[in-house]
Amino acid sequence: MHDTNENLEARRSAPTGAQATSNKNQTDVALGKGLDVGTANLAAAVTNEDGSVTVNVERNAFLDINSDVYSKNMLTKLKVPYVVHNNKLVVIGEAAFELANVFGKEVRRPMADGLISPNETDALPMMRLIISKILGEPRQQGESCYFCVPAPSIDVDNNVVYHEGLFQSLIAKMGYNARSINEAHAVIFSELAEQDFTGIGLSFGGGMVNACVAYKSIPCLSFSVARGGDWIDKNVAHVLGTKKSKATFLKERGVDIRDPKNREEEAIAIYYRNLISYVLQNIKARFEGGQNMPSFQDPVDIACAGGTSLVGGFIEVFRDEFSKIDFPIPVGRIFRAEDALISVAKGCLVAAAIGE
Amino acid sequence: MESIVDIRHALEARSVTTSLDSLKNKGRDRVRVIRAEQIAEMIAEAVQRAVAGSGLMTQEEVDRLIHESRREFQTVLAQRQKESAEARAALEEIDGVRAELEAAQARVRELEAELAQGGSGAANDPAQGRLIQTLMAEVAQLKASMSQPQVVVATQPVQAQAQDGNLAAAIAKLAGTLEERIDKIGRKVGVSSAVEADAVDYSRIFAKGDDKKMESNLDTMQVQQKSAGGIAGNLAKLKKLKGGS
Repeated sequence: MHDTNENLEARRSAPTGAQATSNKNQTDVALGKGLDVGTANLAAAVTNEDGSVTVNVERNAFLDINSDVYSKNMLTKLKVPYVVHNNKLVVIGEAAFELANVFGKEVRRPMADGLISPNETDALPMMRLIISKILGEPRQQGESCYFCVPAPSIDVDNNVVYHEGLFQSLIAKMGYNARSINEAHAVIFSELAEQDFTGIGLSFGGGMVNACVAYKSIPCLSFSVARGGDWIDKNVAHVLGTKKSKATFLKERGVDIRDPKNREEEAIAIYYRNLISYVLQNIKARFEGGQNMPSFQDPVDIACAGGTSLVGGFIEVFRDEFSKIDFPIPVGRIFRAEDALISVAKGCLVAAAIGE
Repeated sequence: MESIVDIRHALEARSVTTSLDSLKNKGRDRVRVIRAEQIAEMIAEAVQRAVAGSGLMTQEEVDRLIHESRREFQTVLAQRQKESAEARAALEEIDGVRAELEAAQARVRELEAELAQGGSGAANDPAQGRLIQTLMAEVAQLKASMSQPQVVVATQPVQAQAQDGNLAAAIAKLAGTLEERIDKIGRKVGVSSAVEADAVDYSRIFAKGDDKKMESNLDTMQVQQKSAGGIAGNLAKLKKLKGGS
């Protein structure tokens, strides 16, 4: 999310995960892949021969420009990925986001509010291209691939079933045995191993915030709120009178929400704090109002992940807002995943490896 | 007949029993006797005369009243006999339902055993998946057939239901328990929803032309790569939780 120019260059010169592993002896590598189908970013995790994990990340966005020979040549020279679709040049991924900011345009987003966008007609073909690129081909036919799906939202009426079925079919068509896992449950698989997979996992994504409470790896409560990074961007853009892509850029360039430096950062900090408070209040309400809720004797940890949690000062503000509410269960550590952007994909990979 | 019995009871309640020797000692050598039937006839005659003499009812009306009372008595008697016969029939019906339920439970136990054997590999084996679908359908049929007799019981007369309410409740409870077990088995093998409806085929959403290769430079495209620590520790913990080595 917070890319420097060096990072972008390194990204463009690095092989994909599929290519990186294709020449190696694959017999010792644990089969199974994890895929984070996020509103803002797509991430695919795979285990390497040495047991380490590689995650391929690409922004879930595209931008169409007029197709002509000059533009095509320029994009090729600049190593900007494109496809020709419906007689248009379509730039996909991070490059689309960068170009949109340069030309003052809005990127097109295949997903909105955590689900496949009903308003974007080219959503599926574009997402299939990106997923195909980051996931690669299965190392053997029917290799297991766990992809994340959001929980139903408590604040809007959304259709998670259609979204899940759609991606199940898309990934299966690529030759995988596609299985879904709740997004926040994946965070628990990734971050709460030391706590015997007991605690609260939160995934702060672009379109939603997903929450899952688990006991010994078994999910007891899952839900989502249809607010996330995009909600912050939309509101910041509204109050600053700028485009959403610009607001996203401002947010991702390195803001510390504990110490906003100007009017733009002030707006970002306000909406971040509001989002965190909203999420905490809803978790509290669900705990207090839910039936068959587990009663934890020992304090449980809260693990935060997702691209929206990457902003500077996030976890401190989270703890500050948490201290303001009377949370119904004892809570121990509140922490952010070591690499919050890839936590969900890694959790999906754990699920794929264990066959959960 | 009933009036005679009542008169006999009334006489017994209002008279004392004494021996012949006791009467003889009191100087009574002879006594007059009268039967209860005769007393009843006398009372009936006295009542009829009193009613006729009162001028409130004619003799004809008195006779008609007696006739209607007898007819009403016969009607009530026939109704009670009919209800008794229906109650006996309901009991026989419930016995039949109970036998059917026991047979169904035995069949479900067999199916459970078959599902337990085939469930674990169902996800990877389409043939096994189809077999489980068939078994689940059979279980669902059994469930439906078990609910049918409940309807029969529910249509029985109110008196019979009240009489056998406990048994009907027990059958309903058994059926409910069975339904829960069927759903549990379905969830275990991942085909529970398929019992009621076929899965939606989302692959049709993808148009036929989607598979053709589009002109692009994506083959040269590089994506951002991030390295992360391994997941061996997580897997070991999970396996331990699941009871594995």
